[in-house]
Amino acid sequence: MTELAVTNTELHDGIPSTLVTRGLLAITPIGLCAGVVLSHLVSSNLLLSLMTQAVIGAILSTGVGVLYRQNGVVSFGHAAFYGSAAYIVGLATRHGVASIEATIILALVLPTLAAFLLGLVIVRVPGTAFAMLTIAIGQALFEFANKARDITGGDEGFRIEFPATIFGTPTSVFQKPGTMFLLCWAVLVLILCALHVFSRSPFGRLTVAIRENQERAQFIGYTTLIPRAMTYALSALIGAVAGVLAMLYNGFVSPDSLHVSVSSDALIMAVIGGLKFVWGPAAGAVVFFFVKEIAGDVTEHWPAILGIIVIVTSLWLRGGLAGALTSAAGFLRHRLSGTEP
Amino acid sequence: MIVHILNGLVYGGLLYIVAVGLVLVFGLRQVPNFAHGSLFMLGAYIGLSTLMVSNFWLGMLVGALVLAFLGGLLDRFVFRPLQDEDHVVTMLVTFGILLVVGDLVQTVWGKDFRSMPTPPILSGTVELFGRMFPTYRLMVILVAAIVALGLTLWLRYSRIGLFVRASSADPQTTAAQGVDTDSVSMIVVAVGTALAGVSGMIAGPLLVLSPSMGSFILMESFIVVVVGGLGSFSGAFVAALLIGQINNFSVVYLPWMSTMIPFLLMVVVLIWRPTGLAGGRA
Amino acid sequence: MTMGAIEGVDLTRAFGGFTALKSVSISIPEGEIRGLIGPNGAGKSTLIDVLSGRAIKWSGQVKLFGEDVSSLSPARRRCVGLARSFQRTNIFPDLTVIDQLDIAARRAEQPNVSEILRELDLKRHAKRRAADISYGDQRRLDLGLALIGRPRVLLLDEPAAGLTVQESMDLAALLRDLATRWRVTVLLVEHDMDVVFGICDRLTVLHLGRVLAEGTPDEVKRIPEVITAYLGDAA
Repeated sequence: MTELAVTNTELHDGIPSTLVTRGLLAITPIGLCAGVVLSHLVSSNLLLSLMTQAVIGAILSTGVGVLYRQNGVVSFGHAAFYGSAAYIVGLATRHGVASIEATIILALVLPTLAAFLLGLVIVRVPGTAFAMLTIAIGQALFEFANKARDITGGDEGFRIEFPATIFGTPTSVFQKPGTMFLLCWAVLVLILCALHVFSRSPFGRLTVAIRENQERAQFIGYTTLIPRAMTYALSALIGAVAGVLAMLYNGFVSPDSLHVSVSSDALIMAVIGGLKFVWGPAAGAVVFFFVKEIAGDVTEHWPAILGIIVIVTSLWLRGGLAGALTSAAGFLRHRLSGTEP
Repeated sequence: MIVHILNGLVYGGLLYIVAVGLVLVFGLRQVPNFAHGSLFMLGAYIGLSTLMVSNFWLGMLVGALVLAFLGGLLDRFVFRPLQDEDHVVTMLVTFGILLVVGDLVQTVWGKDFRSMPTPPILSGTVELFGRMFPTYRLMVILVAAIVALGLTLWLRYSRIGLFVRASSADPQTTAAQGVDTDSVSMIVVAVGTALAGVSGMIAGPLLVLSPSMGSFILMESFIVVVVGGLGSFSGAFVAALLIGQINNFSVVYLPWMSTMIPFLLMVVVLIWRPTGLAGGRA
Repeated sequence: MTMGAIEGVDLTRAFGGFTALKSVSISIPEGEIRGLIGPNGAGKSTLIDVLSGRAIKWSGQVKLFGEDVSSLSPARRRCVGLARSFQRTNIFPDLTVIDQLDIAARRAEQPNVSEILRELDLKRHAKRRAADISYGDQRRLDLGLALIGRPRVLLLDEPAAGLTVQESMDLAALLRDLATRWRVTVLLVEHDMDVVFGICDRLTVLHLGRVLAEGTPDEVKRIPEVITAYLGDAA
C-alpha cells in the first residue's frame, strides 16, 4: 500500500513539526473567523443553505477520511451512522422519551458505541470484504427504515417537532441558513483541529503503524483489535455529528438519510479532496457541491464529471485536491524564501 | 404456490446470470467491479436500441460484443495496471466508471422508463402443473441452467477454464507459471462483461429499463457473489437460487423484513467467513 | 536440571499434510547465544514462529523462564520479554526510524530509543522514512524494533540475510556485544556459517523437522550426520 499511504511528513501536512502546534493555535480562530466573513459576504439564503449542506457533507466525509487514514479501510456505508443519529433524535422526540438535549447526546453516543462493538467484529475482515460489509450494513438499515412503517414511519419519513430552545439556544438558530452555516462551520473547524491533534498523538500514530504493518505492531507488543475498533467508533461519531446537524437543520427524518448514495457521495468527496489529509475530505466536499449545484446548472452531466474526477484522482492525483494545494503551497514557500524544496 | 416457487426460480436464475460475470472478474482480479451494474444496464439499453431496428436476438449479440470490447478495455487499462496496488484504488476507479456510464445512459436514452418487448417466439404462455406460465420466464430458468452447466464444463475442461480456477485459488503462482496471463485475463474479463450485457438483455423484458436499474442490480449481484463465496461459481448458483426464493417468500411472510434479509445474510456471511459460504479467498 | 530461559517442549506443527516440526524440544539457558542451523526446509523458521507465537496450529509447550506462555498472543509474549526479528524485513515503511522505535518503546518498561539508535548506528537516519534508508540499515531497524526495552529473550530469523560480508561480521559482533552486556538469551537462525561459528555458544541442528544434533560449534561440525545433511547445501 504505497501510493495512498500516509507518510510521516504528511502527518505534518508538509509543514515542519515545530510550527504545527503554534500554527494550530493560530489557524483555528482564523478558520472560525473565515466562516463569519463568508456568512456575511453571501447574502443569498439559497446559497447559504447550500453552503450549510456542503459543510454537513464535509463533516460526514471527514469521518470517512479518518477511517481510511487511520485504519486503511474504506467505508461505503457511512450513512448508517449519519441516518441512525437522525432517527434516534427523531424517534425519541416523537415518542417524548426524553428532552431534546438528552436525545441529541444519545444520538451521538449510541452509534459510536454500536460502531465500537461492531468494529470489534468487523475490523478483522480484510479490505475488500470490509468495503462490501459496510455496504451491506448500510443497506440493511436503509431497508429496515424503509419498510418498518410502524417503527420508523416508512419511506415517507416524518417531521420533527422541536421545542422552543435546544441547549438554551432558540431553535430558529438551527433552522436559519445564516446562523446554521456558522454553527456547522464552527463544528467542522473544531473537528478538523481535534483530528489533527489526534493524528499526532501516540494513539493516532499507533493506528497508522497498525495500518502499515499490523503483524509487526503485534510483535512489538500491541493488541491491534481495540485500537482499530476505536478508530472505527471515532469515524462513526463524526458521521453521527453530521447526522444530528442535518436533522436539526432540516427538521425532517427519512430513510433517504440512510441510503447508499449518501455514503457514496461522502466517499467521493473524501477521494476527490484527498484521503491523505485531515482536511482533504472537507475540501472535496466543496468541490463536490460546486460541481453538483453550480456546474449542475450549466450542464446535466455533473455525475460524469464527478466520476471522471474520482477516476483521475484515484489513478494519478493520489493526494487529491488537498495534496495539490499543499504541494503548490510548499513550492511557493520555497520559491519565496529562496530555499530548496 | 408452484407459481411462487417458479417465479423465485426465475428471479434466482436471472440473478445468477447477472452475477456470474461479476464472479468471473472477482475470481481473477480479486476486486469487486463496481461498474458491473452499469454494464448490465448498458447491455439492456444497447440491446433495446438495436431491437428497435431489428430484433431481440441481434440486440443481444450487439450488446454482448460491445460489452466484451469494453471489458477488454477495462482489463487492459484499469485492472492490469493496478493489480499490484491496494485494491481500494481499483474499487474506486470502477466506482468512478459507474458514475460516468450512468450519466452516459441518461444522456443518450433519457431518464424515462422504457420497456423492452418480449421476443415474439417466446411471448406466449405454457401450461405447467395445471397453470399458465409465461414462456419467456420459463426460458430464463432454462438459460440460467444452461449457463451454469456450460460454465462448469468450460471451467473444468478448457485451458482457459483451468487458468481461471488456478488464478482464483492462487494468483501469484499461476502468474509465475509462464502462462500469458495478460491476454487470458483480458479474455476472461471480456467474457465477464459480455455476460453482464447479455444478462441485461435477458432481464429487459422482465424489468423496467431506467437509469437506476444499474445500481439496483449491482446490489443484488454483490449479495449473490458475497453470500456464494467471493469467486465461487457453484456458490453463486446456490446463493442466487436461495435469494430468489427468500425474496418471494419473505415478501409474503415477513414483509417488513423482506428487503433487509438479503443484506443481513451478506453481513453474517462476511463476518463468519470473509471468503463466503463456499470458501475460497477474500 | 536448570530452568531454561526459553524452552520448547515437544513441539509439533503440521499443515496441509506436511509436518514441519516433529516433537522438537529445545532448552536454552539464560545468557546463551544458541545457533539454530540446518538445511533448507528443516523447520528452523517454523520453530521460531512457534516460539514467538506467530504459528497457530501446533502442539506442545513454550516456556519462558519456567512460565508456560503457549497460550499467549505475540503481543503478550513481547510484553513478558520475548522478542523476535524477521527474515523478510518487517518494518513500518512510511514511519520515520525514530517514530517507529518510539512506538515500540511505549510498550517497554525501559524505553531506550536513544540507546538503540546509538548501538545500531541508526542515529543519522532517525528522522528519515524507513523506506528511504538502505537495506542494511533496514535490517538493523528490524533488529532494533526487537531490541527495544532490552528483551530477556531474543529470537532472530536470519538477521544477516542479504547483507554483505562486512555488514554480516559487524552485525555478528554487535549481537555478541549486546547479548553479553544486556544478558539477553538469543536463539539465532542463520545460514551464514561465519556468523554462526563466530558468536554462538552452542548449536542445535534441525533436519526434516527433527533435532539432529546439539553441542558446541566445534563438536557439531564434526558429527557425520550433520555433514551429510548439509552436503549440497553449504552456506
